[in-house]
Amino acid sequence: MDPVTSGRITVTVNGEEIEYDVDARRLLVHFLRDDLDLTGTHVGCDTGNCGACTVIYNGVLAKSCMLLAIQADGASIETVEGLSSDGELTKLQHAFSDHHALQCGYCTPGMLMSATALLRDNSAPTEEQIRKAIQGNICRCTGYVNIVEAIKAAAK
Amino acid sequence: MLLAEVEYVRPKTVDEAIGLLSAHDGARALAGGQTLVNVMKARAASPDVLVDLQDIEELRGVRDLGNGSVEIGAMTTCAQLIGDEAAGARSILGEVASKIADVQVRNRGTIGGNVCSNDPTNHLPPLLVALDASFTIAASGGERTVPAHEFFLGVYLTAAGPGELLTRITIPPGGQDGFTAVTIGRDGSAIVTAAASLNGGARIAIGCVDAVPVRARQMEERIGSDYSDANVRAAAEGLGATLDPPSDVHAAADYRRQLAEVLAARAVVAARERR
Amino acid sequence: MTETATHPIVVTPGETKVGFVGTSVPRKEDKRLVQGEGVFFDDVKRHGMGYVHFVRSPYAHAKILSIDVSKALELGGVYGTLTGEEVAILTDPFFELSVKPGADIKDYALAVRRVRHVGEPVAAVVASSRELARDAAELVEVEYEPLPVLTTGEQSLGSDVILHEDAGSNVVWQGVFDWGDYEGAVAEADHVVRIERLHFDRFSSTPLECAGVLVEYNRGTGQWTMYGNHQMPGIGAIWMAPALRTGVDKLRFVSQDIGGAFGNKICLHPQYVACCLLARKLNRPVQWTEWRTDQHTANAHGNERTFLDIEVPVKADGTLLGLSVRAIDDCGAYPRYEPLGCIIWAQVTPGCYRWRNIRVDFTQVCTNKSPVSPNRGYSRMQHLWLTERVVDLVAHELELDPVEVRKRNYVRAEEMPYETPNGCVYDSGDYARALDIALELIGYDDLDAKRVDAESRRKLLGFGIGSTLDSGTNNFGQSTLLNPELQFSGNNEVATVKLDIFGEIVVTLGTVPQGQGHETTAAQVVADILNVTPEDVTVRPGHDTYWNSNAGFSGTYASQFAVTGLGAVKGAADKLAYEIKRVAAGVFGVTPDDIELAEGQARLKANAEAAIPFMGIGAIVNANNAVLPEDVRDVTLNCRYVYVPPFQLPDKERKFGNLTLTYASQVHVCLLEIDPETGVYEIVDYAAVDDCGTRIHPQIVDGQVHGATAQALGAATHEIFAYDEEGNLLTPNFYDYHVPHALDMPPLKTGYLESASPFTPLGAKGMGEGGGAGIHAVCAALQDALASHGKPTVWRSCNPYHQVWEYLREPKRLVEVKAQ
Repeated sequence: MDPVTSGRITVTVNGEEIEYDVDARRLLVHFLRDDLDLTGTHVGCDTGNCGACTVIYNGVLAKSCMLLAIQADGASIETVEGLSSDGELTKLQHAFSDHHALQCGYCTPGMLMSATALLRDNSAPTEEQIRKAIQGNICRCTGYVNIVEAIKAAAK
Repeated sequence: MLLAEVEYVRPKTVDEAIGLLSAHDGARALAGGQTLVNVMKARAASPDVLVDLQDIEELRGVRDLGNGSVEIGAMTTCAQLIGDEAAGARSILGEVASKIADVQVRNRGTIGGNVCSNDPTNHLPPLLVALDASFTIAASGGERTVPAHEFFLGVYLTAAGPGELLTRITIPPGGQDGFTAVTIGRDGSAIVTAAASLNGGARIAIGCVDAVPVRARQMEERIGSDYSDANVRAAAEGLGATLDPPSDVHAAADYRRQLAEVLAARAVVAARERR
Repeated sequence: MTETATHPIVVTPGETKVGFVGTSVPRKEDKRLVQGEGVFFDDVKRHGMGYVHFVRSPYAHAKILSIDVSKALELGGVYGTLTGEEVAILTDPFFELSVKPGADIKDYALAVRRVRHVGEPVAAVVASSRELARDAAELVEVEYEPLPVLTTGEQSLGSDVILHEDAGSNVVWQGVFDWGDYEGAVAEADHVVRIERLHFDRFSSTPLECAGVLVEYNRGTGQWTMYGNHQMPGIGAIWMAPALRTGVDKLRFVSQDIGGAFGNKICLHPQYVACCLLARKLNRPVQWTEWRTDQHTANAHGNERTFLDIEVPVKADGTLLGLSVRAIDDCGAYPRYEPLGCIIWAQVTPGCYRWRNIRVDFTQVCTNKSPVSPNRGYSRMQHLWLTERVVDLVAHELELDPVEVRKRNYVRAEEMPYETPNGCVYDSGDYARALDIALELIGYDDLDAKRVDAESRRKLLGFGIGSTLDSGTNNFGQSTLLNPELQFSGNNEVATVKLDIFGEIVVTLGTVPQGQGHETTAAQVVADILNVTPEDVTVRPGHDTYWNSNAGFSGTYASQFAVTGLGAVKGAADKLAYEIKRVAAGVFGVTPDDIELAEGQARLKANAEAAIPFMGIGAIVNANNAVLPEDVRDVTLNCRYVYVPPFQLPDKERKFGNLTLTYASQVHVCLLEIDPETGVYEIVDYAAVDDCGTRIHPQIVDGQVHGATAQALGAATHEIFAYDEEGNLLTPNFYDYHVPHALDMPPLKTGYLESASPFTPLGAKGMGEGGGAGIHAVCAALQDALASHGKPTVWRSCNPYHQVWEYLREPKRLVEVKAQ
């Protein structure tokens, strides 16, 4: 077993299996954005704090800026582009719009992934649980007020 | 944000991992990556080879050893510590793990990564010192176990040296544990942390006041077995003066001394109150 | 726990709403954004593009002795480099707004021969991948000779070390503002309250999307296209074109979605020019993506301001008679948008109060820190914080009720429109009523019981008020009070509304939206005028200067979209409505007055059966115009309107005149509890009452209130750009620069008033900035909570836990009251 500076990975992204050659140093978020053109996943910091790059990785929430693409060999990844199917928005996406839970929309994809993961595990979260679920997602526009309201509404 | 060139390898067993770590100078074990990848993004560290531990099943999971001790695989994530039944035997573990960073980081970040990075603001090093945990390190020559106070050597520096791998952490029996922290905001980086465990006497460790967790030995002695509020508070007095904490943008040394006294006392009281 | 309760209170219901303005219709922007289908600048890719990485200075102040790019150029995949020496040859320095000495500052796209702050770009590298560009940047060898470092405004003012030798001084601009009769106020006073020092700390709104741009150069036409997130292209082009020695029309700014800006994306011209030069030099598209650490270290901070020797003549009952203060504003290494901040504050000279005699000695200086840039609440927020601290300290020192002192001194509703001592006109508002609503929301009547309860838990309860203004729609004529030579005045914004061949209604804005819902609110206004629904109206997302629907001041800044942007939309839609009526009238042989627009048709008022659908109107004009009568053949159905607010030039001698059009107001109240052993505090209750005149889209207004509150609370508690003595930024990332997370936000209660502006097309006022009420309220609450602990003066705007502990440990009093 020898270390490599690049390698071929097989990943399932939003249900589609993809093979791709990646450099070992390529961050997963740049693989998604630049190589796969899935630009819904965003970059808002360079230290793993902001959560704009949040994806669901092998069923659990993760920040794609703190994973290497090469680590994802064999993994299954869900991004914001995979949430709605056939252009039909999910209840959560509708709730975000109905409750004005987004302004500039930059944190929104990560926020939606965090809320999606929460609601899969907990269909009736308390406000404290909602706030804990999105504590790793920074929003600079909304003060989180309407994001919390939207997630509450989507849980109903 | 952009890493320097690096080589990558993904072994299946501890032996393979140790082989790789010893074969390559500048190799680093990659656990959850929630610290290391960030350090690499800043190019503050640029390991030549990353040995990704994700496939090594033997490093994962929590075991109740039956005698009240708990053994935690180094690749156990913080999220697993929160939900795990065996870890529940020592409820402070899940409680403190749930305070670490955020959901995403807890899902990927591991106990082994947390202690091996030994960032002074990390929650687990002082907790594990207070719990008197022991650390099992595998090397090509075999395994050795070191107590917590010998494990933490400096920032990003532990007893697990080059070519070695922390494989598991063992927590001895107990349960009267407490942890307190002052963080930046509700859930930001820690400014000072304090952990206490009462097990025939108090063991108290303070975080963020030195490169490694600091035992409050004088305070422990003064407390003896009298855990009353008054005695604990009296025992904490003067603790600050024994410390030489750093000054930074979040706290001058004197403020850290003050927090250490207050938080140490509160950690002991919290430990006393735990059921 | 942070249970959020929102109880909006309608105190002054406006007229009965007919139509869509005033209702929270679904946001048009949302569908793409919730699916990850927005297009932000970094999402734009071009064939053969290169990635730009800047080589940045590790020193706060140093001479550049040499730059060697040869090793970088040898690396495979590297397309080329740019250095300051090249920039100095290829471009002219950006123009400076100031008179001398600031006028003589030389500011280029890259550092030329000297660096003046950590993180300043000294060279740029372009490579085929992001990672390679960074690798190459590390191979650029720069030799520096460090120089002494200045990190505070006061230091700069008294130092022999000069940052800009061309200017010969660290002062950018200095001036005295003197309105009313300050000496007379002192003579009339019972007391003069003196405050030694107050300090407004550095922070910024840190939009989640950092800055950046993809630049394409068209060799044949000499034209640059910039897919970026510049929020004020009109001004950007005025800076860039002369520097690049080209015409303004050669610079095409394009943006669709922008991930927040808050003023921080106004001063991007240095990096944009560097990218333009690289795109031309390398003959390929180049993209620069700023990283968070770069943004914090070297892009856009809010103005830091020290207030010294504050004097407040007052009557014994707390009536404020005057204010005198010396202000030192630290604008960092390069002024750029400055010294506009030296006058912008004067829009709100007396704050919310009836002060008539005000003297301000204002000096702005450069330091070896990141340049500043407008930041939500720009310059007014600093001054409003001063006024609010002053009023609060006066109340505490004279042992008067802070509520009563504010009410005694607030400008009154019946005095509106109210002319301030410097000639600004507050259009409408009822600050005392807003305060009452806020007090009711937090249960102020039970304050004593809450205090006792907190004490029983060993906590110190603090109650604080933050009254503030959000002045909107700049009169750029205020710049002439700084520099009489400047040829700026008034303001303008453009919108175009057209009816296409198949009857589609399409709106093109001149603004540069960053989340404020421009597409939605523009559609509301157009729908009401054309009598259709907002779904029938397409609003082009984003901005493109080549749409030719913009003017010199186009952009999104200064709380003005609801006035200028929608004023232009209204004007254009009115024009289009009239053109449609003229076409229909021509066809029916009647006059336009005989036509009404309804149900997507132009029809005879007298006979609804006689109707032409908009599709028909569009088709006639665009494709079948031979059937049109001669007198309506000038109709284009493509109606452009320039909204120009009613401004005059201010009086330069007296520094007097109306500097802005509207004054939204906010009154916030805060209840917090301090743990006296640690200085840790928590906001336990909070209310925000907003009055922005007519609310076009109440949900969007509420969203702006929430966001501005969160940013202010962040700035009040933890967000600070702090430097060490070597000029290193100590908070360069979101670990050390802690912005509010979801768990940090306190319970937030909101209420509102609607005092329509008499000066604007829709009665609306701009309200996006918020005026920092949360900072004022938290400071006041800390002041109150600490009253029992030696009455320390809360003298800084940012009060993290360690600062509060300092107040507790050593209660330094910076206030004294002198009886006259």
